[in-house]
Amino acid sequence: MTPFPRMSRRQWLTLAAAGAVAAPASGWFGRVAHAVAASRRRRCILLWMSGGPSQIDTFDMKPDHANGGPFRPISTTVPGLQFSQHLPKLARQARHLAVLRSMATKEGDHQRATFKMRTGYLPQGPIHYPTLGSLLSKELSDGTSPLPDFVSVAPYRFLSPAAFDPGFLGPEFAPLIVGDANPVPTVPDAPTDYSQSLRVRNLRQPAGIDAVRVDARLKLLDRLEADFGAERPDVPVRSHRTAYRQAVRMMRSESVAAFDLDDEPAVVRDAYGRNQFGQGCLLARRLIERGVPFVEVSLNGADAQMQLGWDTHQNNFDTVKRLSSTLDSGWATLLADLGRLGLLESTLVIWMGEFGRTPKINPNQGRDHFPNAWSTVLAGGGVKGGQAAGRTTADGTGVADRPITTGDLLATVCGALGIDAEKQNVSNVGRPIRLVDPRATVVEGVLG
Amino acid sequence: MLLATTCAAARGDDIVDLAARIDGLVGRRLVTEKVTAAPVADDAEFLRRAFLDLGGRIPPSTRVRRFLADPDPDKRRKVVDELLDSSLYVVHFSNVWRKALLPETQADPQTRVLVPAFEAWLRQKLTNDTSYAAMVREIVTVPLTGAGTLAEIPGQGDRPSPLAFYQAKQIKPENLAASTARTFLGIRIECAQCHDHPFDSWKQNEFWSFAAFFAGMERQGRGGFLATIREVADRRELKIPGTDTSVGPVYLDGSRPRPTQTRGARQLLADWMITGRNPYFARAAVNRLWAHLFGVGLVDPPDDFTADNPASHPGLLDLLASEFASCDFDVRFILRAIVASGAYQRTSRRTDPSQQSPRLFSRMAVKGLSPEQIFDSLAQATGYVPTAADRQPAGPGEPGSVRSEFVELFRDESSRPIQQRTTILQALALMNGGFVADATSLDRSRTLAAVVEFPALGTGDRIEALYLASLGRRPRAKRLAELVAYVDAGGVTKDPAAALADVFWALLNSSEFLFNH
Repeated sequence: MTPFPRMSRRQWLTLAAAGAVAAPASGWFGRVAHAVAASRRRRCILLWMSGGPSQIDTFDMKPDHANGGPFRPISTTVPGLQFSQHLPKLARQARHLAVLRSMATKEGDHQRATFKMRTGYLPQGPIHYPTLGSLLSKELSDGTSPLPDFVSVAPYRFLSPAAFDPGFLGPEFAPLIVGDANPVPTVPDAPTDYSQSLRVRNLRQPAGIDAVRVDARLKLLDRLEADFGAERPDVPVRSHRTAYRQAVRMMRSESVAAFDLDDEPAVVRDAYGRNQFGQGCLLARRLIERGVPFVEVSLNGADAQMQLGWDTHQNNFDTVKRLSSTLDSGWATLLADLGRLGLLESTLVIWMGEFGRTPKINPNQGRDHFPNAWSTVLAGGGVKGGQAAGRTTADGTGVADRPITTGDLLATVCGALGIDAEKQNVSNVGRPIRLVDPRATVVEGVLG
Repeated sequence: MLLATTCAAARGDDIVDLAARIDGLVGRRLVTEKVTAAPVADDAEFLRRAFLDLGGRIPPSTRVRRFLADPDPDKRRKVVDELLDSSLYVVHFSNVWRKALLPETQADPQTRVLVPAFEAWLRQKLTNDTSYAAMVREIVTVPLTGAGTLAEIPGQGDRPSPLAFYQAKQIKPENLAASTARTFLGIRIECAQCHDHPFDSWKQNEFWSFAAFFAGMERQGRGGFLATIREVADRRELKIPGTDTSVGPVYLDGSRPRPTQTRGARQLLADWMITGRNPYFARAAVNRLWAHLFGVGLVDPPDDFTADNPASHPGLLDLLASEFASCDFDVRFILRAIVASGAYQRTSRRTDPSQQSPRLFSRMAVKGLSPEQIFDSLAQATGYVPTAADRQPAGPGEPGSVRSEFVELFRDESSRPIQQRTTILQALALMNGGFVADATSLDRSRTLAAVVEFPALGTGDRIEALYLASLGRRPRAKRLAELVAYVDAGGVTKDPAAALADVFWALLNSSEFLFNH
């Protein structure tokens, strides 16, 4: 099979006439022509909180206890459900949110916990477990999207690289990564241009090289690859082939307009927040509109820093306040926007980090790693929102009701997405591995 | 270090001998596992691999032609000597060591400001043939304070200095302890920072006692990584956070240092690490060199010497470690011996179905290139003349340098060389980006223009020249015939020169060009 299906000259001319980056999206109120809202396919957005966010300062407030800290709770649009005062916009979207307040996950080390939360398994010998986006996009994809099935915005992979990898599923399921390589602004305090950092560059062939010639070149390349690859079944060679195939498909698609955030009205871009995470959420919406089944957006710091921003061992409250503001605008606007476009019922939004933070405030006004009793949130498609599932004790140090394991969370995610959690993939060691640990159970009452 | 040079040079026989012992140990395992070794790589495959591994870029086509024509049976050893004595080796290994010693600079853009001074220092050490042990000692004991006073060390500018090791760790004892153990000894103790290690024997107490070797440092004022450091020489106690326990420095083997007026705790730590009695130091280093050459360590991941991660060839690891220590930690001696081995010189072609596991070294694995190797090889192949900015170690994303843009795009902190993945963005840049567009443009590419314009060459010779410049080998007959037909027909543009550009484009985008194999 050739990796570069050729297009007829006529197809190329049609595309070129459309301007290659055709169909400016209609943004706030409208819907792109080829949106697939009518489809019953589910999609998923993972909002990944690098470093482990503090549950007590966000979704599981303890205002009557010394562990509660200085933040005050505010009412949401759901009676009885309270969030932190620094999440006012999300409070208005509360009917879509199911807060899981009784996560109990054991792992308190960034590397191991990140791996566990993002793959469902602990690192074990030679098995390369795939990251959630690879695992779920494989199930959610119908194989027709000209865009990659898994797009990841600004992943901070350094501490636990394997947790961001397609693992035994192979290069075909690797994410398209954007926004992870912002150079430090050379002029201090210069604003970062997020429409550039999230853009996909080099989508057009160079000037003077027409489409027919691109085809001829790809055909030559295909032969060289056949020579070399036939005797070398190595990962880099297979990955090269996959990346080129996907790149060519993208070059030939008008859906790549998703990455042109400048198409959006300024008011929309402002609403999401003019920062890496906010604009990443906007990009997620535009990708979901065009049929991409899985998008992940990392919040690594209040600006564009690549770091474990939620790892607030010191100065927890100032940091969480700033992060909350970024989170609130990006996430709340995303939910409202998906709702307006009729996409919220079919799009599950997951909010989580690798663990929570200690209820006890340390002498540095910080909170440390805490996997014993913490929160994650599911919102949108397939979820019965407007509730908190599970409960922690009054001081927040333990689970009082319904401990939720990593597997339970992922089984619930699969339920919301209509995926069979017991399905098996064959791992690199030949052993079948279920999507989710078979001992896990769906959290009761969360699925809508 | 004159000693190291004479050591390796006088020991030509020792190199052959050590290579044979390597092959004995690798070969015995292959027999046990019933795996058939692949045949030896041909001259072109070997030359390209040796250039990339030791010199950081592909060989120039003139060198390829000379090597292929050379009848000397000893030419492989000679070209390795030539490479290890060249400035290519110095520049490439400065980059290799910098990534190993300052992994932070791979992940955190803010720390990249530390790269130039550190790589400049490494270049100095490698040029002077400083032994690995002496290099590590300099890093660990870099002066942070004047004789007994609180002198301040300006840690800025590109003055060659290993100070970046401390700056990148933000002078925090826990970071320095974890990095020192992991980088120089291959031991991961950092899990024990917060709690007793879940699957190894390190205790929280042991971790902080080791960290106490670095107890006396602090940063003064603002300035982030470049803030002034000072060291309080006699402060050698640390409080374990969240407890009331204070601990003083203790080596990882449980013994205690006895600092004196003239030899402080860091000096004693360096002594302890580097002595022959410490089994970890030499093993961690030779394992790293092995991993550099094969893409996979004898212990793998290479910096994870834990009880549940045993070496694939424990005897081989011990052999290399003891040879390394007995030759005054001469890196080039170990490189020479490994590169001379049959294990290293096997082809990367899979010639038998039993050649599955990369950890048995039955054939050479296909390895991804570092961003610097990709750029420098592209430059070599296309005749790009690097600018002054391109020649500097990559600092913090200076705009304008073509090389630093490339390095940024191909930076890959996450995967190991044998599992390196090409991203869609990289594929797009190579297919459509300005650099390759220029390299395959008749107006702007030196290599292509020379090949197209050189008079009295047949089409086959022109295609061969493009193959030698990019893949470092001659095309095989069947493929050559097809390509000649394509070019003579002028491709889709009916222009033979443009058709040659198409061939060059395909060569530069091929995995054979973009990987080390």
